[in-house]
Amino acid sequence: MIRSYSLRIASGGLLTALLLSACTPADPRAETSKALTDGVLLPTYSQWAEADRRLAASAIAYCADNQTTEEAREAFVHAQTAWAGLQPLLIGPMGEGNLAWQVQFWPDKKNLVARQVTALLNTKPELTQADLDGASVVVQGLSAYEYILFDKSIDLGDAAAKQRYCPLLTAIGEHQQQLAAGVLQQWQDKDGVADQLRRFPNERYAEPSEAIAELLRVQVTALDGLKKKLGAPLGRQTKGHPQPYQAEGWRSDTTLANITSAIKGAESLWLGANEDGLRRLLSAEQADLAKRIDAAYAELLQQLAGMNQPFAELLGNDAGRGELDALYKRIDSLHRLHQLELARALGVQIGFNAHDGD
Amino acid sequence: MLRTPIWATASLLAVAISLAGCGEDKTPTNQTAAPQSTTESVPAEQTQKPDEKAAKAVVSHYADLALAVFSDAHSTAVQLQQAIDALLANPSDETLQAARQAWLAARIPYMQTEVFRFGNPVVDEWEGQLNAWPLDEGLIDYVEGDYQHALGNPGANANIIANTELQIGEDKIDTRELTAELLTSLNELAGSEANVATGYHAIEFLLWGQDLNGTGPGAGERPHTDYVVGEGCTGDNCERRRTYLKVATDLLVSDLQEMVEQWQPGAENYRASLEAESGENGLRKMLFGMGSLSLGELAGERMKVALEANSTEDEHDCFSDNTHNSHFFNARGIRNVYLGEYKRVDGSTLTGPSLASLVQGVSPEVDSTLKTDLETTEAKLQVLVESANNGEAFDQLIAADNAEGQEKVRNAIAALVKQTASIEQAAAALGISDLNPDTADHEF
Repeated sequence: MIRSYSLRIASGGLLTALLLSACTPADPRAETSKALTDGVLLPTYSQWAEADRRLAASAIAYCADNQTTEEAREAFVHAQTAWAGLQPLLIGPMGEGNLAWQVQFWPDKKNLVARQVTALLNTKPELTQADLDGASVVVQGLSAYEYILFDKSIDLGDAAAKQRYCPLLTAIGEHQQQLAAGVLQQWQDKDGVADQLRRFPNERYAEPSEAIAELLRVQVTALDGLKKKLGAPLGRQTKGHPQPYQAEGWRSDTTLANITSAIKGAESLWLGANEDGLRRLLSAEQADLAKRIDAAYAELLQQLAGMNQPFAELLGNDAGRGELDALYKRIDSLHRLHQLELARALGVQIGFNAHDGD
Repeated sequence: MLRTPIWATASLLAVAISLAGCGEDKTPTNQTAAPQSTTESVPAEQTQKPDEKAAKAVVSHYADLALAVFSDAHSTAVQLQQAIDALLANPSDETLQAARQAWLAARIPYMQTEVFRFGNPVVDEWEGQLNAWPLDEGLIDYVEGDYQHALGNPGANANIIANTELQIGEDKIDTRELTAELLTSLNELAGSEANVATGYHAIEFLLWGQDLNGTGPGAGERPHTDYVVGEGCTGDNCERRRTYLKVATDLLVSDLQEMVEQWQPGAENYRASLEAESGENGLRKMLFGMGSLSLGELAGERMKVALEANSTEDEHDCFSDNTHNSHFFNARGIRNVYLGEYKRVDGSTLTGPSLASLVQGVSPEVDSTLKTDLETTEAKLQVLVESANNGEAFDQLIAADNAEGQEKVRNAIAALVKQTASIEQAAAALGISDLNPDTADHEF
């Protein structure tokens, strides 16, 4: 593309042509990648880091009796939903190593969180930050934080219990704050992730189409993950028997709020902040697909907005399960629209992701 | 390693030159870092669909491999059955050890069958009854110590061996007669995946018992006296335990026999339908099986979960501490499918038309990268095998304070991740764009 553009204006002088070819953002994929970086990715990562900063502050304030349990829970929900919204944007450092697992360990089929929190506090009653930083991912993140604040077996109204769990609560808050701040820094650094999505070629991407492909891939992976997150409690892999404890955020009833947040995150990648998202890359002939994806997001978010009962209640009755089944179908078709049709339209091969297998 | 194809180098250079004139960006001088994306960038001229005849020959040989490996899984299960009969006829340390050895030997071919699981519904829908894990073993028999089970699993402490009637929620289940039908029906009891009443891991638990050593050395230590009739019986209900073990083993053998039949040539079976499909779709299933096992299942569920959560509950062969071998032979299965090779339990080697030869025909570079990656993976998993042979098993490597051990597991995971990217490259080289072979209803 760059070369053909150079050829067309070669009469203007080779040097000028070469200069223009790099300075003019003629490639719509490069423009889209840049626009999404500045309009969607960076702001969302900043909001997440800010939510974790508030979480860390909340833990300290709560443990000094300067915040109520209600306020502490609110800070958790805020951090949890900010994290959920980041799921379709897990490009760069958050998609590598075990960082995402340090933020949240899901699914937790064998209730490892209860077991490991108990074991950790029994062996390290005077828990330090270093103890937590060297511990299992299960106790480092939001799942353990949620367990402490919401599990029915823990009565934080009891001063002794609060004293037992507070060192862990504050250590998790600090761990999350540092993790998020570190990741945001990697985005903002010169030649960092943001720059790699703005200017091509670079160490990560030889050309903008690779960046677009990766953005679509993380979005598709997140949509696929949502199917697991809703399908597991619905019992789709377990002969239709609902499994309420397999739901993400069952203790805090953030299951549906998380899904909403993740869908909005995916939609932001699709639309962009100023109509400059992935949607813009579709040609006029592909307008029908664009409309169908628009409609799929709109219907899904509309249904979610109307679901106000707690998730466990919905799961517990036929009408509620019917609604959740309908929600699952909508997420499934949105996922397919991206994985199959949008990927094909954009010429992107969707490879394997972590949700393959069982 | 930069996965930039050669053709891109020219434009990279041009852009590098022109960027120098913009006055704001530094020319990238280091092009050696790996992009994290596993997005394909195989250029059009290197992508070529193999002709239908060649593709079909490869798929047909793939079915031969499946037949051979499932046949070996069956024959080694028959040997396990004989060893268990001997144990039951004369329970002793020797016969128990022999039965354990037979179980370990039976796992070698079985783990190599798993690459056929993803992509072939006939295998995927069948395998739960044989290899489901992790299980809440309290469903089957007595448990003690630090037994943790799935939250909300009403069958987690049902203890079928000790009880002739189970109360699961409001339902009563008659368990007086321990038959194959009964045990099969108890799988996923009340919808909990952790309720596993049949298969390799149920048998493993009955031969070894719980591994109560956590991340310390040692596997399960069930005494042979758990199978003694009358006086000397330990763990109570020895008669029912004997029946359970016998029934579960017989069922394993007959299940494997069923799968062998699905891959026989010239029959009305799954193989026939696979070979009736387009060659391209067959190749897609092969690649999908390789990639799904490599990344999501082996690197993810079976290694990364146990590693990052320091969780022995998520170790694959947790009662016997055979996890290193299970991982090794899972990966060997992936390699088998790519190379069209399988070393049978009798020592002979089956070879034939392979994916490797097709990929080599269109892109020798992609082929050689993938071959190297498969070798690297095997070498990294060999490290886990040697570690276990030297007394440090997988469940010790994943201990929170074992940085060196964790590194070994992490290296194996990294090799699997890299190999998966190369599998995607190979698929792209063959012009196979949609790696999900069944987009209708089945979830992978």
